[in-house]
Amino acid sequence: MSAPLEGIKVLDLSWVMVGPFSTRYLADLGADVVKVESSTRIDPLRTLGPFKDGVVGPERSVSYHNLNAGKRSIALNLKRAEAQDIVKRLTRWADIVVESFTPRVLRGLALTYEDLKLVKPNLIMVSTSIGGQTGPYADEITGVGTMGASLSGATFLMGWPDRPPVGPFGPWTDEVAPRFIVSTVLAALHRRRQTGEGCYIDLSQAEAGMQFILPAAWEYGVNGAIPQRRGAQALLRCPCGPYPTVGVDCWVAIDGSAPTHWEALRKTIGGPILDDRYDTLIGRLRHRESVDDVITSWTTQFTAEDAEVQLQKAGVPAHSVVRAMQIAADPDIRLAGHLTTIQDPVIGQAEIEGPRFRFERTPTPVTRRGPLIGEHSHEVLTTCAAFSDSEISALAEAGVLV
Amino acid sequence: MLAGSILADLGAEVVVIEPPGGAAGRRMEPFLENTPGLERSLTWQALNRNKRGITLNLDTLDGVDLLGSLSGKFDVLVESVPTAATLSFGERAALPSKSIHCLIHPFFRDGPKANYLQSDLILMAASGSMGMSGEPDRPPIAFPFPQAMMETGAEAAIAVLAALNARDEDGVGQRIRVSARLASMVSAFSTPVVAGSGNPEATRSSGGAVIANVTVPNIFPCRDGYAVAVIAFGSAWGPMTNRLAAWAAEEGFLRSELGERDWSPFPVQVGTSNGAGEQLESLIAGIQGLLSRKTKDELWAEGRRRSLLVAPVMDMADIDHSPQFSARGLWNDVDWESRSFRIPARFAQMSNYSISTRSLAPMLSQHSAEVLRDELQLSKDEIQALFVHGVI
Repeated sequence: MSAPLEGIKVLDLSWVMVGPFSTRYLADLGADVVKVESSTRIDPLRTLGPFKDGVVGPERSVSYHNLNAGKRSIALNLKRAEAQDIVKRLTRWADIVVESFTPRVLRGLALTYEDLKLVKPNLIMVSTSIGGQTGPYADEITGVGTMGASLSGATFLMGWPDRPPVGPFGPWTDEVAPRFIVSTVLAALHRRRQTGEGCYIDLSQAEAGMQFILPAAWEYGVNGAIPQRRGAQALLRCPCGPYPTVGVDCWVAIDGSAPTHWEALRKTIGGPILDDRYDTLIGRLRHRESVDDVITSWTTQFTAEDAEVQLQKAGVPAHSVVRAMQIAADPDIRLAGHLTTIQDPVIGQAEIEGPRFRFERTPTPVTRRGPLIGEHSHEVLTTCAAFSDSEISALAEAGVLV
Repeated sequence: MLAGSILADLGAEVVVIEPPGGAAGRRMEPFLENTPGLERSLTWQALNRNKRGITLNLDTLDGVDLLGSLSGKFDVLVESVPTAATLSFGERAALPSKSIHCLIHPFFRDGPKANYLQSDLILMAASGSMGMSGEPDRPPIAFPFPQAMMETGAEAAIAVLAALNARDEDGVGQRIRVSARLASMVSAFSTPVVAGSGNPEATRSSGGAVIANVTVPNIFPCRDGYAVAVIAFGSAWGPMTNRLAAWAAEEGFLRSELGERDWSPFPVQVGTSNGAGEQLESLIAGIQGLLSRKTKDELWAEGRRRSLLVAPVMDMADIDHSPQFSARGLWNDVDWESRSFRIPARFAQMSNYSISTRSLAPMLSQHSAEVLRDELQLSKDEIQALFVHGVI
């Protein structure tokens, strides 16, 4: 069987993370994704690490491969009118166009949805930006996912109540927004099959981020209270949180709040935790600090992995709070085949991630490396936009294909 | 809950099936007026808008039979199992060939953690993002609201919609397995590829990058709260740092030569430049000084005008008051429990469809009789008998 989106064509004008993350999903599902980039305006993701073996270079970023796996690349200098014309011809080929420019930019290039719809009436196009395409500030808001997180309310909620917020890990909305972009695109594609209608989708990354913290919005709307930071504490559960273990900044997360899990935890740890003050949930909530101290005096004797295994064996929800090295070594990840070795002409071998779902009937394609800048320019111009070899040579000579 | 909610927002008819005692989601905080109750969970409300709800006791033969019949009437069945040892309903039942069965497993179902006990915290610990969150002198932190369930639900929605598109081609459904751990790992970005690229592991550093042995913060206090100011370099973001530095110099918070220099190549110059760390520290101090004198509104207005990587750290009230989100039509008005308020509902603006709140979350068993009557043509007596015997 073919992949779920076999035959679907995507023209990807986006860069950095949100757009490429979204089109990576489409490539994973079998769509043919052509990425437009330029050596005159390097995709900033190519300047972000990790770089293979720590050596910096535009073709050495493993995170670029991770977000652009399986795509083709055409190099275009979009400042040139000829390049704008090529985008229009590729739009005629494509089912879906994705772009993540600051809202005013495409107007300057005459490549808005209104422009592109003229060459492809049933086009599905996504414009994604931090604050959206409309609203009083639309043309002025530019930025990165760290700002998206901040404008979505997420940054304010991450940190300790007695300290300034620290925000979530990374440019948070760059990982949240793609989920809403891809779902909306796939819904539009499904509708297009029934009705023939295309769709323009304007997705603000800040607004998409709010969906992951919707309970906070409801709490404000209904209870009138502004939700606050809580550090690592689960207010209504005890014990529940990260506990320190052997090693520098090493922790094991334990959720022993439910009665059966609590009894299993007690039996495993023994000693002072058997105190009858801790028999009931109310007792534990009232003596939270001493419960945590007793657990800590046990966890600090073991490595995080060791504590995890002992506790899970005993029937307690627990997991080591992992970082990069533990993830790469974890048999749960290894046996799932989530990490795939790629072979690249510049960096040689590296590992990137595979899809996070498995289709039993329409398997997803094997994960391939990301492209070099402009690696497929000739092939794409020939097969997707019907340019002749001589036309392509002329464009190359004129400095359009860089 | 989020998977169904995304599908319902995009127009699907979604029915949530709960045990007669109520779904676990009804016991999730926060609660209306901080008073618990099966109809008072705000998390339940937030994630079950636009769905209908029925109860079915799946420990009874009748319950299983009814679910089997209902599955035949719907396109998609979304289910999660607590461990790999649990056989899902969709695997036990003979679903029609057109059915799309999305099955969510916590960990890899053929791996050593297949039968691990889990909760949201456990999955986030296993995601890689929690281990990088928070200040190094304190434990790793998490959101005050569950995130693994959001990551997983959003991932499941994508998988279901992809299978639906595949079915559009040939009319045949399939089973899709979604791993909650892998879905949650999206929150760690490219962390999983660090080891295989021959790089050392990063340590927790309060969110900022470390350049020339200086930790570059990205959150700063301002007059009425906090602001994000991303101090980034390279050809894409360096110019924005230049403009921020210029502003700090204009207002007297930074030496003029540091306000005039080009910061774009700074990280690659670090190795060859004397006093790079000192220059960077001066830049940070200048920006800190500038931001501390401005309000969130002033910072955002000027940040937009000058095209800077600066944004206010908004709380829920700030978002509510923002003219940008209001003008875009982010909000849906909601009336619930004699309150009128609004919720950020429209995660996308579409040219020919509008996400709306057609109904509030279902009350427990609110639509049991209606669904059994309309979908399965059960009689009034049959439905009453099911209730009497605790099936619904």
